Amino acid sequence: MKKIAVIGGGVAGLEVSKQLLEANIPVTLIEQSSKIGGNIKNYAYLFPDFYNAEELLNSYHYLITDPNLQLLLNTEVAKIDFSKKTYNILTKDGISVPADAIVIATGYNTFDARLKEEFGYGIYENVITSVQLEQMFKNKEIKTPSGKIPERIGFIHCVGSRDAKVGNTYCSRLCCVTAIKQAIETKKLLPSVEIFCFYIDLRMYGLLFEDLYLSAQRDYNIQFVRGRLSEASEMLDKRILIKVEDTLIGKPLQMSADMIVLMVGMEASDFSKQFKYHNGLEVNEHGFFNPINPHNLRNLTSKDGIFLAGTAIGPMSVGETLDHARGTALSVLSFINAN
Amino acid sequence: MEANNEPKKRIYWREYVKDIPKNDYFYFRSCIRQTFFPGAEQMFLKILKNNLNINYKDDPNLTTCTGIGYHSDIIPLETVHTMVARHFSLMNESGYSNFVSSCVTTFGVMTEALEMWHEFPETLEKTRENLYKTTGRTFEPPKAIAHASDIIYLYRNEIANQLKYRLINQYTGEPLKVVDHVGCHYSKIFPQHGIGGAEFPKVLSEMVKAWGGEIIDYPERRHCCGFGFRQYFIKESRGYSLTHSQTKFESMEPYHPDFIITNCPGCNMFMDRWQYVIQETTGKTYSEDDNGIPVLTYEEIAALLLGYDPIEIGLFMHQTNVLPLLEKLGIDFDKEQFIAMRAESMQLQPQM
Amino acid sequence: MIPIEEIYSDPRIVENLNACINCGVCTALCPAADYYDYEPRYIERVVLSHDPVALEELMSSDYIWYCGQCMSCKARCPRKNAPGVVVSALRYWSQKTGLFAKSKMGRNQVLIKQSIGQNIYDLGYCVHPSKLTKEAHPEQGPVWEWIFNNREKAYSLVNANIDKEGAGPMRKISDDAVNEIHSILKGTGALDLWETIENSVKETSINNKK
Repeated sequence: MKKIAVIGGGVAGLEVSKQLLEANIPVTLIEQSSKIGGNIKNYAYLFPDFYNAEELLNSYHYLITDPNLQLLLNTEVAKIDFSKKTYNILTKDGISVPADAIVIATGYNTFDARLKEEFGYGIYENVITSVQLEQMFKNKEIKTPSGKIPERIGFIHCVGSRDAKVGNTYCSRLCCVTAIKQAIETKKLLPSVEIFCFYIDLRMYGLLFEDLYLSAQRDYNIQFVRGRLSEASEMLDKRILIKVEDTLIGKPLQMSADMIVLMVGMEASDFSKQFKYHNGLEVNEHGFFNPINPHNLRNLTSKDGIFLAGTAIGPMSVGETLDHARGTALSVLSFINAN
Repeated sequence: MEANNEPKKRIYWREYVKDIPKNDYFYFRSCIRQTFFPGAEQMFLKILKNNLNINYKDDPNLTTCTGIGYHSDIIPLETVHTMVARHFSLMNESGYSNFVSSCVTTFGVMTEALEMWHEFPETLEKTRENLYKTTGRTFEPPKAIAHASDIIYLYRNEIANQLKYRLINQYTGEPLKVVDHVGCHYSKIFPQHGIGGAEFPKVLSEMVKAWGGEIIDYPERRHCCGFGFRQYFIKESRGYSLTHSQTKFESMEPYHPDFIITNCPGCNMFMDRWQYVIQETTGKTYSEDDNGIPVLTYEEIAALLLGYDPIEIGLFMHQTNVLPLLEKLGIDFDKEQFIAMRAESMQLQPQM
Repeated sequence: MIPIEEIYSDPRIVENLNACINCGVCTALCPAADYYDYEPRYIERVVLSHDPVALEELMSSDYIWYCGQCMSCKARCPRKNAPGVVVSALRYWSQKTGLFAKSKMGRNQVLIKQSIGQNIYDLGYCVHPSKLTKEAHPEQGPVWEWIFNNREKAYSLVNANIDKEGAGPMRKISDDAVNEIHSILKGTGALDLWETIENSVKETSINNKK
């Protein structure tokens, strides 16, 4: 009886598991934290239509009781061995997980904004990340850490992305539309707040994204300034002083805000840092796992039996992650049937 | 020292400390510091010798590094590289290998030269050729380059143990509030050459903390003092220089600093002089006692707290009166003499 | 006709021109952008365009003379560019080719040559107390004026042997050392540059009088 190990209990890992379990293949799902869900647990509503993220995650809960699923929470992988045509995963607790194929669905980390010191994250209380703001949407309340209702909020695009100084030169794709989504959600909760988005380019790549941008301007009066944040400093009253250039006018611009939200980018997970050259796993120059071919072999690694699913290969939206994960499940099934 | 020195993995720059040599310094003087704050340089050497037992060499055959000329664009790149090489050659001859510069522009120019020689080896070859054909000299780059403030940073705790006074306001018992202004060329060019990186350089703030003071963070903390090289030297653009110092003063004023500490001699001079100009032209001062905010170099502060005489340090050469600070610190000095010198230099009747 | 190949092979330009994304981070904090009608971003754009006409125009204008060389731009650029260093290179080439004399701010370079340059040549210092007269530098204030008029006293109080031989602040730089400086200035092209600066400005003023 073939058995599959899936590393990572986020939506990619859950979707792969779901597809395999429906085909009656037993799955061991290894998750390092105490809960399934991965990064989606941090989202309140998904772009572009404000779909409820918690509902989406809940749709996987029934899997936990599936007799063919072995769920290992609070478990980290120490080693992956290959011998005698089967894999063996050794966890840090010393548990052995044999598997005929392994799916790497280890997701992403958000960029540690403390590395961008000129933005004052972790130093100035009114500098928060998009992840922290999303939590405020869950609580249906937006306040500064000192309890004030903000009157002006700045959204800072490209934090930890497109930046040679912090080592991430790529674009994280999703932060622009996330910023617009969050700007609209903020405006819904605080109708009188002034919102400015500070961007370089607006990456509205999805079919409905440009419409969201239009709506943000037309219906919610969100202001867009084409200028990347150069520096955020703290004023005497703890408000933030923003320094950018309005590049469309060609003049430096300074503005104060009660709060700024850093749109942190997506980075390779700790797992990819640890396992990057392990047993045939390769990462590209941005640290994400490399599929054999980015066009038509996006789920396969150069090692037979090791597959990739979701943001382990690069920034993706939830919808794209699920598409990709289904492809991975199909590849796994083909692999099992062939061997 | 690896010219490029860039850390291999990502780091929190605020925690970054570079390697600083501990002894045997080849001291390189600063045109501006020698002109405006000569006492500060002498105090640095005194502290090295008397307080820290450190060996150094003060070579009279050194000249300007021509960094000011380079940044004012009348000294070509090859010239400044050759001048830098000449000074390295003198250092080699002296047997020392740890270069310590008094000026932040020198520090910037030398780290840039080393980095360029590393990235573009043909420029190193050309420099060797130029130095040899013009002076017959050969040279090897130093093992380490540090700025003199790096040295005081390195030994701040040893100095703290010898302090006669601490950065405490003797009237209130509170720590003095200090603005630390780090010269642009210290860490903006290469953050890996500045302690604490470019955004929160801590070479001066750690000194202040070690000596009992409190550091102020204010919005224009990293703003250039406005020297601007040619902007200052040419009369008609001198307003550039004034404007940026003023921007800083306006920004720091609500935090009520007791004094400003600097590591670049130019910054010290500008922030000291421009307060006078602003007062003369607009009547505005930036301190509650209407005196202005005293601006001191790190050598001056270290020497003052260690108990050296304010006149010998050269504090009478400052335009913005340092007296209120001396009183806050409770310094034991010849107040009458200081006030008399002040009156004489300001061409005023002495006031007690 | 500007020496395009030479300009683009200047190591300062090669190293600090890494394709600009026009994000504006440099201009946001540039002191010169605050004071003048200036964007370091524009400098990068023109140089990156490789358009010789635009480059020549840039090098003949006031525009390249606004920068204050603070390098705040270099600290922040996400593409690792440094407009301030590119400006350094452009200013050199502008003076070498004589184009600087077409702009008012450019022509001021002759004053720098006559002050800073002359100090280096004569005294071995960029800046020397004897040159900082009240007329030239009124902003230095009354205390400096007093120091200027009482140099011996002021400097001796701080153990500085001004204009004397031996080690110490503001010492007289020995003739040998000054001669080495002369030799270096000559052999590395500085004196030639200074001559070009003087001649270009002279020519421009003669032409302007016609």
